[in-house]
Amino acid sequence: MIVAETARQFLADCGVNPERMTLEWASAAEAPRFVELITGYVSSIKEKGPLGEAEGEADAETLKRRLAAAVKAAQARKPRTVLGNLAKKLHKDGDYSKEAIAKGVSAKILPALRAERIKEEMLMLLEESPMSLDELCSALSCEKEEVEKPLAQLQKKGVVEEKDGKFALAKK
Amino acid sequence: MVMENVVEKENEMAQEGFEPRILGFFCHWCCYAAADSAGVSRYQYPPNVRVIRVMCTGRIDTRFILEAFKCGADGVFTGG
Repeated sequence: MIVAETARQFLADCGVNPERMTLEWASAAEAPRFVELITGYVSSIKEKGPLGEAEGEADAETLKRRLAAAVKAAQARKPRTVLGNLAKKLHKDGDYSKEAIAKGVSAKILPALRAERIKEEMLMLLEESPMSLDELCSALSCEKEEVEKPLAQLQKKGVVEEKDGKFALAKK
Repeated sequence: MVMENVVEKENEMAQEGFEPRILGFFCHWCCYAAADSAGVSRYQYPPNVRVIRVMCTGRIDTRFILEAFKCGADGVFTGG
Protein backbone atom coordinates (compact mmCIF):
# COMPACT_ATOMS: atom_id res chain seq x y z
CA MET A 1 0.00 0.00 0.00
CA ILE A 2 2.93 2.30 0.60
CA VAL A 3 4.14 1.53 -2.91
CA ALA A 4 0.69 2.19 -4.40
CA GLU A 5 0.37 5.47 -2.51
CA THR A 6 3.89 6.49 -3.56
CA ALA A 7 3.11 5.68 -7.18
CA ARG A 8 -0.14 7.64 -7.05
CA GLN A 9 1.40 10.75 -5.50
CA PHE A 10 4.42 10.61 -7.76
CA LEU A 11 2.26 10.23 -10.87
CA ALA A 12 0.29 13.31 -9.83
CA ASP A 13 3.61 15.11 -9.38
CA CYS A 14 4.64 14.08 -12.92
CA GLY A 15 1.37 15.39 -14.38
CA VAL A 16 -0.54 12.13 -14.72
CA ASN A 17 -4.02 11.73 -13.27
CA PRO A 18 -3.39 9.53 -10.20
CA GLU A 19 -6.71 7.72 -10.71
CA ARG A 20 -5.13 5.91 -13.63
CA MET A 21 -3.37 3.71 -11.10
CA THR A 22 -5.57 1.60 -8.88
CA LEU A 23 -5.12 -1.11 -6.27
CA GLU A 24 -8.02 -3.48 -5.62
CA TRP A 25 -8.63 -6.80 -3.94
CA ALA A 26 -10.52 -9.80 -5.21
CA SER A 27 -10.02 -13.25 -3.74
CA ALA A 28 -9.84 -16.39 -5.88
CA ALA A 29 -13.50 -17.14 -5.11
CA GLU A 30 -14.75 -13.68 -6.09
CA ALA A 31 -15.04 -13.88 -9.87
CA PRO A 32 -18.19 -11.67 -10.03
CA ARG A 33 -16.48 -9.02 -7.91
CA PHE A 34 -13.44 -9.16 -10.17
CA VAL A 35 -15.60 -8.66 -13.26
CA GLU A 36 -17.32 -5.73 -11.59
CA LEU A 37 -13.99 -4.11 -10.66
CA ILE A 38 -12.47 -4.52 -14.12
CA THR A 39 -15.59 -3.26 -15.90
CA GLY A 40 -15.81 -0.22 -13.64
CA TYR A 41 -12.13 0.56 -13.97
CA VAL A 42 -12.03 0.22 -17.77
CA SER A 43 -15.03 2.52 -18.19
CA SER A 44 -13.47 5.11 -15.87
CA ILE A 45 -10.31 5.09 -17.99
CA LYS A 46 -12.39 5.34 -21.16
CA GLU A 47 -13.96 8.48 -19.75
CA LYS A 48 -10.54 9.97 -19.06
CA GLY A 49 -9.26 9.28 -22.56
CA PRO A 50 -5.70 8.38 -23.61
CA LEU A 51 -2.71 9.20 -21.41
CA GLY A 52 -2.02 12.92 -21.43
CA GLU A 53 -5.51 13.95 -22.51
CA ALA A 54 -7.41 13.90 -19.24
CA GLU A 55 -8.01 17.12 -17.36
CA GLY A 56 -4.92 18.65 -15.81
CA GLU A 57 -2.45 16.30 -17.47
CA ALA A 58 0.72 17.47 -19.18
CA ASP A 59 1.07 17.05 -22.96
CA ALA A 60 2.32 13.76 -24.38
CA GLU A 61 5.89 14.82 -25.11
CA THR A 62 6.48 16.37 -21.70
CA LEU A 63 4.95 13.31 -20.08
CA LYS A 64 7.21 10.95 -21.97
CA ARG A 65 10.33 12.79 -20.84
CA ARG A 66 9.01 13.28 -17.34
CA LEU A 67 8.12 9.62 -16.90
CA ALA A 68 11.49 8.50 -18.23
CA ALA A 69 13.08 10.72 -15.57
CA ALA A 70 10.63 9.35 -13.02
CA VAL A 71 11.67 5.76 -13.74
CA LYS A 72 15.28 6.74 -13.11
CA ALA A 73 14.27 8.54 -9.92
CA ALA A 74 12.44 5.44 -8.68
CA GLN A 75 15.68 3.49 -9.09
CA ALA A 76 17.79 6.00 -7.20
CA ARG A 77 19.16 5.00 -3.82
CA LYS A 78 17.87 7.87 -1.73
CA PRO A 79 14.12 7.59 -2.36
CA ARG A 80 14.35 3.81 -1.92
CA THR A 81 16.06 4.20 1.44
CA VAL A 82 13.43 6.71 2.50
CA LEU A 83 10.69 4.27 1.49
CA GLY A 84 12.29 1.51 3.55
CA ASN A 85 12.57 3.80 6.57
CA LEU A 86 8.96 4.85 6.29
CA ALA A 87 7.84 1.21 6.14
CA LYS A 88 9.85 0.53 9.29
CA LYS A 89 8.35 3.53 11.05
CA LEU A 90 4.79 2.53 10.17
CA HIS A 91 5.49 -0.97 11.46
CA LYS A 92 6.87 0.42 14.72
CA ASP A 93 3.87 2.71 15.24
CA GLY A 94 1.49 -0.07 14.24
CA ASP A 95 -0.55 2.47 12.29
CA TYR A 96 -1.39 1.30 8.78
CA SER A 97 -4.34 3.63 8.16
CA LYS A 98 -4.64 5.22 4.73
CA GLU A 99 -4.19 8.68 6.24
CA ALA A 100 -0.97 7.75 8.04
CA ILE A 101 0.48 6.23 4.85
CA ALA A 102 -0.55 9.19 2.68
CA LYS A 103 0.92 11.63 5.20
CA GLY A 104 4.20 9.74 5.47
CA VAL A 105 4.54 9.41 1.73
CA SER A 106 3.87 13.07 0.97
CA ALA A 107 6.18 14.23 3.77
CA LYS A 108 9.11 11.89 3.15
CA ILE A 109 9.13 9.92 -0.09
CA LEU A 110 7.62 12.43 -2.49
CA PRO A 111 10.20 15.21 -1.91
CA ALA A 112 13.05 12.72 -2.37
CA LEU A 113 11.55 11.34 -5.59
CA ARG A 114 10.72 14.81 -6.90
CA ALA A 115 14.27 16.06 -6.34
CA GLU A 116 15.69 13.04 -8.18
CA ARG A 117 13.21 13.45 -11.02
CA ILE A 118 14.03 17.13 -11.46
CA LYS A 119 17.72 16.34 -11.58
CA GLU A 120 17.28 13.57 -14.18
CA GLU A 121 14.89 15.63 -16.27
CA MET A 122 17.26 18.57 -16.19
CA LEU A 123 20.05 16.40 -17.57
CA MET A 124 17.75 15.16 -20.34
CA LEU A 125 16.78 18.72 -21.28
CA LEU A 126 20.36 19.97 -21.27
CA GLU A 127 21.43 17.08 -23.41
CA GLU A 128 19.15 18.36 -26.15
CA SER A 129 20.18 22.01 -25.99
CA PRO A 130 21.71 24.57 -23.60
CA MET A 131 19.12 26.43 -21.55
CA SER A 132 18.94 29.41 -19.22
CA LEU A 133 17.65 29.16 -15.66
CA ASP A 134 14.24 30.59 -16.58
CA GLU A 135 13.87 28.24 -19.54
CA LEU A 136 14.70 25.29 -17.30
CA CYS A 137 12.12 26.40 -14.75
CA SER A 138 9.33 26.62 -17.29
CA ALA A 139 10.27 23.36 -19.03
CA LEU A 140 10.36 21.56 -15.68
CA SER A 141 7.31 23.54 -14.48
CA CYS A 142 8.73 24.14 -11.02
CA GLU A 143 10.09 26.94 -8.82
CA LYS A 144 13.50 28.56 -9.22
CA GLU A 145 14.78 27.29 -5.85
CA GLU A 146 14.05 23.71 -6.83
CA VAL A 147 16.12 24.05 -9.98
CA GLU A 148 19.03 26.01 -8.52
CA LYS A 149 20.08 23.46 -5.91
CA PRO A 150 20.58 20.40 -8.12
CA LEU A 151 22.03 22.64 -10.81
CA ALA A 152 24.69 23.94 -8.43
CA GLN A 153 25.48 20.37 -7.38
CA LEU A 154 25.88 19.27 -10.98
CA GLN A 155 28.13 22.27 -11.67
CA LYS A 156 30.27 21.34 -8.69
CA LYS A 157 30.63 17.82 -10.01
CA GLY A 158 31.62 19.26 -13.39
CA VAL A 159 28.71 17.68 -15.25
CA VAL A 160 27.14 21.00 -16.19
CA GLU A 161 28.84 24.22 -17.33
CA GLU A 162 27.58 27.78 -17.42
CA LYS A 163 28.25 29.91 -20.48
CA ASP A 164 26.73 33.35 -21.22
CA GLY A 165 23.89 32.73 -18.74
CA LYS A 166 23.06 29.40 -20.33
CA PHE A 167 23.68 25.97 -18.91
CA ALA A 168 24.98 23.07 -20.95
CA LEU A 169 26.44 19.63 -20.33
CA ALA A 170 30.21 19.76 -19.93
CA LYS A 171 32.15 18.34 -22.87
CA LYS A 172 34.07 15.21 -22.11
CA MET B 1 12.30 -3.08 -25.01
CA VAL B 2 9.76 -5.80 -25.73
CA MET B 3 6.98 -3.86 -24.04
CA GLU B 4 7.50 -0.93 -26.40
CA ASN B 5 7.21 -3.22 -29.43
CA VAL B 6 3.93 -4.59 -28.14
CA VAL B 7 2.63 -1.06 -27.60
CA GLU B 8 3.60 -0.07 -31.14
CA LYS B 9 1.81 -3.05 -32.62
CA GLU B 10 -1.28 -2.26 -30.65
CA ASN B 11 -1.15 1.33 -31.86
CA GLU B 12 -1.35 0.01 -35.40
CA MET B 13 -4.18 -2.26 -34.46
CA ALA B 14 -6.15 0.48 -32.72
CA GLN B 15 -9.25 1.27 -34.68
CA GLU B 16 -11.62 4.17 -34.40
CA GLY B 17 -12.90 4.88 -30.91
CA PHE B 18 -10.74 4.88 -27.86
CA GLU B 19 -9.85 1.49 -26.47
CA PRO B 20 -7.63 2.05 -23.43
CA ARG B 21 -4.55 -0.10 -22.95
CA ILE B 22 -4.45 -1.17 -19.37
CA LEU B 23 -1.71 -3.13 -17.71
CA GLY B 24 -2.80 -5.46 -14.95
CA PHE B 25 -0.56 -6.78 -12.20
CA PHE B 26 -2.40 -9.77 -10.76
CA CYS B 27 -1.47 -11.77 -7.70
CA HIS B 28 -1.06 -15.44 -8.59
CA TRP B 29 -3.12 -16.59 -5.61
CA CYS B 30 -5.99 -14.11 -5.62
CA CYS B 31 -6.86 -11.87 -8.51
CA TYR B 32 -5.30 -14.08 -11.16
CA ALA B 33 -7.32 -17.03 -9.91
CA ALA B 34 -10.41 -14.82 -9.80
CA ALA B 35 -9.81 -13.79 -13.41
CA ASP B 36 -9.39 -17.45 -14.30
CA SER B 37 -12.62 -18.50 -12.64
CA ALA B 38 -14.42 -15.54 -14.23
CA GLY B 39 -13.31 -16.93 -17.57
CA VAL B 40 -14.36 -20.48 -16.68
CA SER B 41 -17.81 -19.34 -15.58
CA ARG B 42 -18.13 -17.28 -18.78
CA TYR B 43 -18.60 -13.84 -17.29
CA GLN B 44 -18.23 -11.05 -19.83
CA TYR B 45 -15.67 -8.39 -19.10
CA PRO B 46 -13.76 -5.83 -21.21
CA PRO B 47 -10.67 -7.17 -23.01
CA ASN B 48 -8.54 -4.07 -22.39
CA VAL B 49 -6.40 -5.47 -19.61
CA ARG B 50 -3.07 -7.11 -20.41
CA VAL B 51 -2.04 -9.20 -17.48
CA ILE B 52 1.30 -9.68 -15.81
CA ARG B 53 1.13 -12.36 -13.16
CA VAL B 54 3.18 -11.75 -10.03
CA MET B 55 3.60 -14.23 -7.22
CA CYS B 56 2.43 -11.65 -4.70
CA THR B 57 1.14 -8.09 -4.96
CA GLY B 58 3.89 -7.12 -2.54
CA ARG B 59 6.40 -7.84 -5.31
CA ILE B 60 5.27 -4.76 -7.20
CA ASP B 61 7.59 -1.77 -7.10
CA THR B 62 6.86 1.89 -7.80
CA ARG B 63 9.17 1.57 -10.75
CA PHE B 64 7.01 -1.10 -12.44
CA ILE B 65 4.05 1.25 -12.42
CA LEU B 66 6.04 4.22 -13.73
CA GLU B 67 7.61 2.05 -16.42
CA ALA B 68 4.15 0.98 -17.59
CA PHE B 69 3.02 4.59 -17.99
CA LYS B 70 6.30 5.46 -19.68
CA CYS B 71 5.64 2.74 -22.25
CA GLY B 72 2.27 4.31 -22.97
CA ALA B 73 -0.22 2.42 -20.83
CA ASP B 74 -3.42 4.36 -20.21
CA GLY B 75 -3.88 2.80 -16.81
CA VAL B 76 -2.45 0.31 -14.35
CA PHE B 77 -4.73 -2.07 -12.45
CA THR B 78 -3.18 -3.82 -9.49
CA GLY B 79 -5.17 -6.76 -8.19
CA GLY B 80 -4.34 -8.42 -4.92
